[in-house]
Amino acid sequence: MFLPSVAEQLFQDIQKAYQETSQIPDDLLIALKFVFGPCALQALDLVDQQSVTCLSSPSGRKAFQVMGGSGCLYTCFVSCHYCPCPAFAYTVLRRNEGPLCKHILAVYLCQATAATQQESVSDQQMSALLSGTAAQ
Amino acid sequence: MTDILTLVFRTFMSQTDVRKELTVVPPSPASCSALLVGHSRISRSVLLLAAVAAASEMGMRVVFFTQTQIQSLPVSLQKCVPSLSPESLKKIKFSYPRTVEELLQQVAGLHEPPNTSPTPPSLIIVDRLEGYLCGGAGGSLSGFQPGEQSCAAHLSALLCDTAAFLTQLLKQRSPSSAPCRVIASFQSEVDTGQVGREASATDPILAVLDRYFQVRCTLDRDSSYEAAAAGLQDVWHVYLSRTGITEASCTEDCEDGPAVAQEWQLLISPDGLMEFKLP
Repeated sequence: MFLPSVAEQLFQDIQKAYQETSQIPDDLLIALKFVFGPCALQALDLVDQQSVTCLSSPSGRKAFQVMGGSGCLYTCFVSCHYCPCPAFAYTVLRRNEGPLCKHILAVYLCQATAATQQESVSDQQMSALLSGTAAQ
Repeated sequence: MTDILTLVFRTFMSQTDVRKELTVVPPSPASCSALLVGHSRISRSVLLLAAVAAASEMGMRVVFFTQTQIQSLPVSLQKCVPSLSPESLKKIKFSYPRTVEELLQQVAGLHEPPNTSPTPPSLIIVDRLEGYLCGGAGGSLSGFQPGEQSCAAHLSALLCDTAAFLTQLLKQRSPSSAPCRVIASFQSEVDTGQVGREASATDPILAVLDRYFQVRCTLDRDSSYEAAAAGLQDVWHVYLSRTGITEASCTEDCEDGPAVAQEWQLLISPDGLMEFKLP
């Protein structure tokens, strides 16, 4: 469940370029589209809409929450790839067609462009979100 | 993760076998999770041996999740672990979630302070994943549901993410007990029938589990003529794939560097005594 090195390098390049110019240059956008296909554009949309929030609880545990296009909230893990969305279940797990869905890609892009929102939750709320039993 | 399994194999090694010193190398962060694949009865015994070996030999706190009550400890423990004491057994916390939802909640709650003080667990064990993931709790294994793959991914990712978080805590509070490892067991649906072994490669749940667990430990019954000739003992092959194990012979004339030990034999006597041998 690790990223291919080409994708890792791409996120590093995006982060560096964004720190210097506050935008993602065209060549890196094209590379993003090339590596991740149609997912890339949808993920960039999510970044624009500030859909990614990093949740932290007093225990120090963190998780990402991504607001999908339909308004659904998806909880993604910090250290490995998982998203409860249907595309992850079908494209990634069932058909093995790529390493991630648009929500996880949006998390990477938000981290590279410092666009992640921050929010605190209680330890119990964090547990409920991680186990998928939280009311959303 | 292979350090705990190596410890198990070494501790319960056949006394008649040539004694070799196996270096137990702390796992790298990328190999802290292992999946035991094979007969659930044998896997469960190996998991119990792992829990007790980790608690008594390495002083680790262990969390052991299972659907079935532990009635007795494997007989090998009483014979092979002289340091076995009630105090070390207290380091193992047995939890009995009945459903996958309960298991997810309990694993998700491991970061909460009551579970991490004074020290967080260094080993998380889940017995019989198939009981949680396939066809409901312990129910029929026939008929694969697409949602089961997503559920398997959720549980595996939660276990790995929890271990990664607890590793960070252990590094701060008790560096010698880091990292936090995960061992789970799984018996493939296709292996319960008379289907060929290679069929397990097509098990959709196992394919998902393999994405998250970096080390696979396969238990495979030896049905060869030699095994039958061995008499009453049950003979199993134990294959470790993607391992970080090194082995150094303690014989004086051996100057060879560490070699990779990827295969073991497990002999089970009629009285339940389990012994591991290097083939």
